[in-house]
Amino acid sequence: MAPRLQPLNLVILIAVIAGLGAVPLFTSAYVLQLATDILTLAALAYSWNIISGCTGYLSFGQVSFFGIGAYATSVLVLRTGVPWYLAAVIAAAFSGVVAALLGTVMLRLRGIMFALGMLGLARIIVVVASDWNFIGAAGGLTLPAQLTPVAVYLAMWVAVAGAFALNYFVLHSGWGLSVIGVRDEETAASAIGVPTARIKTAAFIMSALAPAAVGGLVAWNRSFIDPPSAFDPSLDLQVIVFALFGGVGTLWGPALGTLVLVIVGEQFWAYLPDLQLALYGVLVIAVVLAFPGGIVGIANRFGWLRRRPVLAPATLSTVSRPPQAPPPGDGPIIEVRDLTVRFGGLVALNGISLSVRRGEMVSIIGANGAGKTTLFNAITGFVKPSEGGVFYQGKSVSAIPSYQRARQGIARTFQIPRLMESMTVWENTLLAARYGKRGGDAVEQAAWALHTVKLDELWLEPPSKLSPGQQRRLEMARALALEPTVILLDEVMAGMTRDEQAEIRAVLRHFRELGVAAVAGVEHIISAIADISDRMIVLDRGKKIAEGRPDAVLRDPLVIESYLGKVS
Amino acid sequence: MSASPSPSAGQDALRIEGLVAGFGDLTILHGVSLDVAAGKVTVLLGANGAGKTTLFRAITGLVTPRAGSVSLFGEPIAGRAPHLIARAGIGHVPSGRELFPRLSVGIHLDLGARLCPPALRAGLRERVLGLFPEIAERLSQAAGTLSGGEQQMVAIARALMTNPRVLLLDEPSAGLAPKVVLSVFQTLSKLQEQGMSVLLAEQSLTFGLSVASRAYIIREGRIVLSGTPAELSAERSVVQAYLGA
Amino acid sequence: MIALQLVVNGVLLGGTYILLAQGLNLVFGVMGIVNLAHGAIITLAGLFTYWFATQTHQSPLLLIPAVFIVMLAVGAVLQRLLLEPLAKLGRKGELLNLMVTFGLSYVLVETALNLFGSQYVSLPDLQTTWPVGGLAFNEALVAAGALGALISGGLHVWLHYTASGQALLATSQNPTGAVTCGIDVRQMRGIAFALGTALAATAGVLLILILPLSAPTADTLTILSFVIVALGGLGDYRGAVMAAMLLGLVQSAVGYYLGGDVEVVVPYLLLIAFMVVRPQGLGHATR
Repeated sequence: MAPRLQPLNLVILIAVIAGLGAVPLFTSAYVLQLATDILTLAALAYSWNIISGCTGYLSFGQVSFFGIGAYATSVLVLRTGVPWYLAAVIAAAFSGVVAALLGTVMLRLRGIMFALGMLGLARIIVVVASDWNFIGAAGGLTLPAQLTPVAVYLAMWVAVAGAFALNYFVLHSGWGLSVIGVRDEETAASAIGVPTARIKTAAFIMSALAPAAVGGLVAWNRSFIDPPSAFDPSLDLQVIVFALFGGVGTLWGPALGTLVLVIVGEQFWAYLPDLQLALYGVLVIAVVLAFPGGIVGIANRFGWLRRRPVLAPATLSTVSRPPQAPPPGDGPIIEVRDLTVRFGGLVALNGISLSVRRGEMVSIIGANGAGKTTLFNAITGFVKPSEGGVFYQGKSVSAIPSYQRARQGIARTFQIPRLMESMTVWENTLLAARYGKRGGDAVEQAAWALHTVKLDELWLEPPSKLSPGQQRRLEMARALALEPTVILLDEVMAGMTRDEQAEIRAVLRHFRELGVAAVAGVEHIISAIADISDRMIVLDRGKKIAEGRPDAVLRDPLVIESYLGKVS
Repeated sequence: MSASPSPSAGQDALRIEGLVAGFGDLTILHGVSLDVAAGKVTVLLGANGAGKTTLFRAITGLVTPRAGSVSLFGEPIAGRAPHLIARAGIGHVPSGRELFPRLSVGIHLDLGARLCPPALRAGLRERVLGLFPEIAERLSQAAGTLSGGEQQMVAIARALMTNPRVLLLDEPSAGLAPKVVLSVFQTLSKLQEQGMSVLLAEQSLTFGLSVASRAYIIREGRIVLSGTPAELSAERSVVQAYLGA
Repeated sequence: MIALQLVVNGVLLGGTYILLAQGLNLVFGVMGIVNLAHGAIITLAGLFTYWFATQTHQSPLLLIPAVFIVMLAVGAVLQRLLLEPLAKLGRKGELLNLMVTFGLSYVLVETALNLFGSQYVSLPDLQTTWPVGGLAFNEALVAAGALGALISGGLHVWLHYTASGQALLATSQNPTGAVTCGIDVRQMRGIAFALGTALAATAGVLLILILPLSAPTADTLTILSFVIVALGGLGDYRGAVMAAMLLGLVQSAVGYYLGGDVEVVVPYLLLIAFMVVRPQGLGHATR
């Protein structure tokens, strides 16, 4: 799904930038160098923006990839005579491979630990580089002058354009929604089919490419590299300041921040050479505390530079799609056999067996701590069973990760809504629709889902503007957008007004017409689901204590004693 | 039945007048007035989003009121910092309980007892544990490992240990099994017998009316109805309409 | 014998690490504030101590009470100005905390660079070695280790067995609930950061007697401290002691058998290894 570009605007934009870009070619060498520096830092800032701004993994790794690229390019040219521009590209690819390998380890770390790990990594690399004779060890490498400043300048433009293009792709494409989804709510993203590990690794690789290319070019521009200059930690500070100041996680932020701060800085540093980094430090603090959205954030308040919602049609009403019939087959949709889940000493589920059959709506009730949410977590893959198995359409899912279970048709909602806050209602739904089981057009699927839960009018609002009940409806829309075979609802009625409950009940009554084969709902508000359920299961302390038609179950003395209490 | 507070006999434990409060540009409470009689249970009924929790947050200081007054036994407290309002004698059991997951039940009680005069602590602890025998057995257990019902007990016990003059309970029955709701219910009755002034926020009409001596109905940030349970039961359909839509 | 000496060195080194890390255990482990300026504070205090000792020829130990008290005040001010505005964001503010303290660390390091230059400096006061039964015990390391253990023990007791310490734990686990108990959560946050900062600065005063410090390498101390806190289980003082000992022993052995260059890299490798294999660390998190 390629991002949509408005052709005329794009042409104008390119012409303007080309015009401005040509200017330094006709002025002094000083201006050319300054412009080259701006481009270098902008490329780094854009790359940082991808992994830290858009994916939410604060990385102090730009300097590492920059240095890796510098050394890789230099060694390639020195030892194999490959032309420099080719060497830079190969170095970028090499850096990407390094990022892929690193990512398998580092991206498993939580945000803070990832940041610290990347900081530590830079230290390790400097130590290794200082000792490694193949790359000149501490003495460094001298490079014969081969590039003209103009060539470097033009090559830098290519690098920046590449980094910009990657940012554009992340912020304006359907694929990019997965990245932002991972940043906002990694767990929920997994539940709607996003392969979070792969997405993070891809973003990480993307963030490693431009710095490496730029590192190679800078090395050649300087004709010399050694570990301290290739891995200068203050580069990370600068890049972060620029992106923050301009607007982290936005398309134009890194460019604006770099441009403004470098040009303004040039005037200052002549007078205060020793305070540059300290002042950058102060600036980081000031931006985070006073205007965390940066320049773009301020511009947004005036309506400028706002991000367009991804792939949004002109209006929703014209785009829709009739639901498809549920897939044929027999046998239970979900089956749980002798499932036991232990958390340390606590037994959450104790040898439970139950099934959700085709065509039925099952409600699951029980006291808090009875194991209801754990059951859902085990079915959807967020919790590993200690014993027993989960079967979906007859096949065991124990080896299947949660995002794939979602893609294969098991959808769920969360007890506390986990919606992606920086995306609109539309984009939240579209993200799920992209991973819909039966393929087909995601835009139509998302439009239909929003239509079914009656959130059409609010489609361009952010989730924060929705009432709690509307947020739960959005969670349902997300689940429907996956074209699921079975939907698991976790306390969907809580927090809803009676009218909203009535609307959800209407949707649930006709689930079969929506292409869904079965529904299972965990609930406390029994009155809201008892009359629309075909079957009711009662859990108590990890065991099933009753099962059957709702009216019978609710009169079962065991259920009354353990859950309902004496009704006055 | 009336739509305004009735004249009080004797001093009110809590008197709220014309309270206006909200978040950012949004105003949620549009001039709410209600009285909590001393030694009685007063219930605030309303649907989700009607303003119950905002009202509680305005009383306990988590949200600063924009206008209006809150008096605790005649002492004005609106606008004070929340921890100071707790120290003044408002015991708050927040919706969602807000316990300390890795601290033991016993420490929860100790933390509440910080606000109780030292001479009274031992006696109060004995009475509170007598009220909640199930948690008396679990004093060294970490609060995060308790069941939902037990957590609700701990939350109420913690608030009681602060030796409050008024107890505020925000939807204690939310998310709890019906059987557990009954026991919370019984606890409230016992508290009333002991003369505690209680303001209870509830969604459930049956639960609310069964335990209170006076009820207020809030809708879209305004008090629309108030009266005794008997009066409101007689007009059940009107009340349902206010709560339902 | 060599092995035994390595163990002794490792344990003593571990003691030094505890001194480094305990301030951070309070700030990051208990309160969840990622203070990237931790190493800068230690270094700045250490360099100041060096300057004081060389200028006035007085014992640097005289500085300890003054530094502690001054840094309590400075820490409280820093917290109120820089971190309190982000406190209302809760978990989502973690990364913003990180960036603010990242900026702060640069401000402090650059200040140190301008005031004290970029060279390594150290004070040879406590560099004697006591021979005991054929093994050498470095006096400075013993002092640091003893003090570190003492302070750690004290902090652990304070946190878990006193009313004020429990109030701090309550604040870190649920500020809304803490308020209902009359706890001034704003004050608690200020106290935690002030205390953590004061402990870090005090560690710096002692550290200059043991290790050479320099402004440009301040962040290695930061990373080292985070490794110990993370390995130990956030906020767990017993865990931190174990982690510090482990790190000290591994570094001691690696340094001897594989050389100084590899030794430097050990903390980061350990951190990465642990985070992948056992993210909760050696102890039990208090958060």
